[in-house]
Amino acid sequence: MNRQEKEIAVRQAIKNVPLISSAVARLLELSGESEHGIAEIVNIVKYDAVLTAQILKVVNSAAFARKAEVYSIDHAVSLLGEDMVVGIAMSEAAGLLFDKKLEGYAAEAGSLWRHDLKTAIAAKIIAGHARTEVNGDLAFTCGLLHDLGKGVVSDFLKKTPQKIQQAMEQKKFPDYAAAERAILGLDHAEAGYELSLNWNLPAPLPQAIRFHHQPALADEALKPLVYTIHLADIVAMMSGVGTGSDALQYLLDTAYESYIALSSDELAAVMLGVEQEYSKVAGVFWGKEEEAPECA
Amino acid sequence: MAKTKIVGVGEFAVSKDPEEVIKTFALGSCVAVIFLHKPTRTVGLIHVALPESSISPEIVRDRPGYFADTGIHAILQKMAAIAMPPGSLAQGMVVKIAGGANVMDTNNTFNIGKRNVLALKKILWPLGMGPVTEDVGGNISRTVSVSVGTGKIVLSSPTKGEWEI
Repeated sequence: MNRQEKEIAVRQAIKNVPLISSAVARLLELSGESEHGIAEIVNIVKYDAVLTAQILKVVNSAAFARKAEVYSIDHAVSLLGEDMVVGIAMSEAAGLLFDKKLEGYAAEAGSLWRHDLKTAIAAKIIAGHARTEVNGDLAFTCGLLHDLGKGVVSDFLKKTPQKIQQAMEQKKFPDYAAAERAILGLDHAEAGYELSLNWNLPAPLPQAIRFHHQPALADEALKPLVYTIHLADIVAMMSGVGTGSDALQYLLDTAYESYIALSSDELAAVMLGVEQEYSKVAGVFWGKEEEAPECA
Repeated sequence: MAKTKIVGVGEFAVSKDPEEVIKTFALGSCVAVIFLHKPTRTVGLIHVALPESSISPEIVRDRPGYFADTGIHAILQKMAAIAMPPGSLAQGMVVKIAGGANVMDTNNTFNIGKRNVLALKKILWPLGMGPVTEDVGGNISRTVSVSVGTGKIVLSSPTKGEWEI
């Protein structure tokens, strides 16, 4: 296949990704609204039997170590909090994309989900350092979804990781996304953007996904959010939780300083906070405090 | 088969068991410091995440290994306790470091990998334990494993395969 044919195939593959349920779509939409309560979340979740079952399973898992079993979805949602509920919903809705082995990135199954979860946690913390207000819950959701496109493009990037690595060392590409564009005609960020449009995700999400490596191209009003995701992605990679072959192979856009105020000490504190929160949350998703390979 | 001891972020391990392998995953900007004490055949590995503990003194009690300034002393104390009889640990100690990767086009703030390496060296040099080998920097995330019996250190990354330092 030449590049044009590959691009057509990728775009077709994006169209073939199953749609998310209306409950998940509504949940994502709600997390982007500045004023909403836990009761609204419960109202969405309780009409989706699969999601309800999964949330009860998580809240009653060993990681939470409750004395008494939790049977009510209201109680479960209030115990877990909104971010966890959105995380569980996304892992249910798009598990196939998140959890599969990504040969195109030399990444084991689960690596992308770990990276997304860590980025989401980092995004919520970094949102607190934005110069103008950035909704932390929205930042979390954007962090969770920012690399959605990798689940699709990976299938078309098999056998490329080493070649891209060598080309990067020879400075043939400014970053990994540029290498993806050279091979496929589009990168994982654009693929994720197209998918988010197909899924009808609420307005800020598609832009955050599309421009997380090129935040300067986002609409001015969304730049504080998009730069938050840009930095969160980098923080996750610095902490060793990249996806695979592309870890640390992206440029830092230092224009973030206009939108996010972070001193060296504050960044160190952010990294520490992310690590602590991640080890708690990872316990919920993987059953115990994380000690499994983050990416081998 | 060798027993594998996994070292998480901010943790350290010391072993004299020749059958054991000490391993730490995906360093990113973190740095692994490996101590090989030849006279007592004791091996230590620490996974340091940040240069200075002053940003969060309360973490130090639970996880001193998180920071360069508290971690090195903590692991050396444990090595001294295990590698008795007492004496100068520096004598016969070989120190190697790996990790400290950087973000592309980084600025001073995001330069944590480089700052980690510098902070560690500043602590190791006065102890007479300056690293004899280092595989640091660049834009790759390294996984490190050390065989206690042989002192062999193997690094790996998703695209570069395995190599020894």
